[in-house]
Formats: sequence, structure tokens, C-alpha cells
Amino acid sequence: MKKRFYSIVFMFVLTFFFAALVSAVKVHNEERIQTNQQVKLKRIVLKVLGVSVDEKAPNREVIQIFEKRVKPIEVKQQTLYVGYSEDGRSVTGYAFPVGGAGFWGPVYGMVSVDPEASRILGIAFYRHSETPGLGARITEPWFTKQFAGLPVFPVEGDKKIFYLKPAGPGKRPNELDAITGATGTSRAVETFVNRDLDRFLRETWKQVKKG
Amino acid sequence: MPKPLSGSQIVLQGLWNDNPVLRQILGICSTLAVTNLLVNTLVMNAGLVFTVTMSSLTVSILRNYTPMRIRMMAQTLIIASYVIIVDIAIGAYLPDISEALGPYVGLIITNCIVMGRCEAFAMKNRPWASFLDGLAMSLGYAAVLLIIAVIREPLGFGTLLGYRIMPEGFTPWTIMIMAPGAFFTLGLFAWFVRAKFPQTAEEKKQGH
Repeated sequence: MKKRFYSIVFMFVLTFFFAALVSAVKVHNEERIQTNQQVKLKRIVLKVLGVSVDEKAPNREVIQIFEKRVKPIEVKQQTLYVGYSEDGRSVTGYAFPVGGAGFWGPVYGMVSVDPEASRILGIAFYRHSETPGLGARITEPWFTKQFAGLPVFPVEGDKKIFYLKPAGPGKRPNELDAITGATGTSRAVETFVNRDLDRFLRETWKQVKKG
Repeated sequence: MPKPLSGSQIVLQGLWNDNPVLRQILGICSTLAVTNLLVNTLVMNAGLVFTVTMSSLTVSILRNYTPMRIRMMAQTLIIASYVIIVDIAIGAYLPDISEALGPYVGLIITNCIVMGRCEAFAMKNRPWASFLDGLAMSLGYAAVLLIIAVIREPLGFGTLLGYRIMPEGFTPWTIMIMAPGAFFTLGLFAWFVRAKFPQTAEEKKQGH
């Protein structure tokens, strides 16, 4: 009986000590981790809106540029990032998050459209767990650049706004190159980006037009 | 009770004679997962060295106070705490690498080497010896991972630490990026070491 009681006390004290230690480390670094994540998101928004920011620019600078060129608004519980021109007078585009199930885990990205919501300006993926060298190539410029200029509505007769097809000649304008060797990731991206673009047009954009 | 090992013996055991990856074939999951990019391997190694060394030291200090029946629970708690600290530190100071490593830092908790050393060594030895053992074992693990990463990254991406080292026309071997590439590399490497430098009686018998 005494032995059992000692075991419980021992475990309790040990747990208390380590829980306190881990909590202290966590609290100490909380702010830095949060800033890292926020700055990462800000960089992505600026990137898809076509505002170039030096990759090595310090966090402070990124936040400054973001505050000058972007205004986040809430539309139907979705965050919409409104991009403004250098002088801050005209709207250059709208950015909003896209995401869904990838091949291995969730994929998070950001898409931007022009002020009339007629064409895609840019797309970027910033968090995923796809295979390095295969599915992870969704972050490479050759892949994301294909989306620029794509009309944000299905071409007559098509169900989807765009399709990812194996690279090759004789493709239609809304058929982009899929990633060779990463069919699962390509299919996933095709599905959730189409779905989120469609949702944006049907829900968010209608609300924005109403004002 | 066998005679306690000297410091240099402990170090030699961990690094070579009883190397966790090549001789004990422990910690293979993370070996396969993080060795396709050298920079990820380096960070993972640092995390593992810290965790194994600190866990071994802590378990050894507490060994005479820990009730036998709950020692596993206590070890898991100690190991998990150090791993979470590593995870937080990487998230705070190396956010990009933190994302690239994904769940593998957290999975150090289940890396057999950590608990293996606590159970096999730290529970029975003094703190200083346990500290050395943890350090040597984890460095032995780290060394093997580095060698595998140095083989995989150039062949799989054509780069080393992100710098292009293969000639322009080189076609990356996709298989080296994926798990099978790691299996082949690790298998061949362990085979080479065991055949060339046999340790166990069985290995010696099969040698030429």
C-alpha cells in the first residue's frame, strides 16, 4: 500500500515538474511562433496579389508592406484579402484561401483573382505534406504560373473551371499540366481548387458586388 | 554484475560497435523519412541528440527513486517533454524546416533508440556514463543519417544542402526521394558495413 502511494506521488511530482517546464518553454516562444505563422500567411497573400517582397526581408518589413497594400475583410465568414495599388487608390485584386485533402494530408493555398473576378492572378500553396520532389512540386513556379490568366468560370460545355492533364501538346486553354508521378496530388488540387473557386463566385463574390 | 564500461568504451559502442542504426537496426522509420534532404537531416539529428542525451541523463539521475513498476511511464513522460521542447524550439526559430519535417520531430518520442537507451543503459548506470551513452548513441544514429542523406539528396534532387552539384543534364532519380530509395541505400550500406567489419559471431562466420 505504501509502495503504491509512493508511485502515485512520484508520478505526480514528475508530471508536475515536466508540465511546468514544457509550459514555460511554450509560453516563452508563443509570440515568436505566432508571428512566424502570420508573416508566412502575409507573404503568401502578397505573393499571389503580385506584390514582390524580397524573400530575405525581415518580418517587420513584410508586415509594413502588407498593411500598406492589403486590407483583409470578412465576407460570409470567409476572409478576403483586398489588394491595393501602390498609391492605395485602386483595387488590384482579391485573394482568398483555398485548401483541401491532398494525397498525404491537408493542403493549404491562396488564390487571387482580378478586380472583376474574371481571371486568376496567381496561386500559391504554403502548407502541405506531399512527397518531396513529386507532389510537393505544387509549390514550384512552373506549376503555379500556369494558373495566371485562367478564366474563373467553366468554358462552355465543361463542368470544371480547369483540368490538370498529363503534359503534352494539343491541350485546350483550361487544361493545365499535371505533375508527373503525382497523380494523387494533381487530382486533389484539381478538385479542391475548382470547388473553392466555384464557392467564391457563388457566395463570396455575390456579397462583394452587393457591397 | 558486469564491470562498468569506461567512457571511451561507451563512445565507441554508440558510434560504431553497437551503432543503433547499422547494428541494432533501430530508429529506421525516421531514418527513411528525413534523409532525402540534408538540411532536414541536420535539424532532425540535432533534435534527436538533444532528446536522447537529456532523457538518458534525467532517467539516470532519477533511477534510484523511480518505482520499477511505473518506470516506463516515467520515461515516456520525460522523453515526451524533451521532444515537445525541441518541437517548439524548431517551430519558433526554424519555421520552414519545422514544416518540412512535419510530424517527424514529434515522432522522436516513439523512436526506439530513445527509450531503448533509457531502459538498457540509463536505468542501470550513473548519470555521467548515461549522458555519454546517450550522446554517443545519438551521434551514431546521426552519422548514419548524414551519410544516407549525402547519397540521397544529390541523386534524388541533384543538389546538396540546396546547392546544385550534379551536372546540368542530370536526370534526378525520383526513387531516391521516396521511401524505397531510402530502403535500398540503408540496406546496401548496412550490408557493406556488416560484411566488411563483422561484429557478431554469425556475421564473422559468413565472412570470407
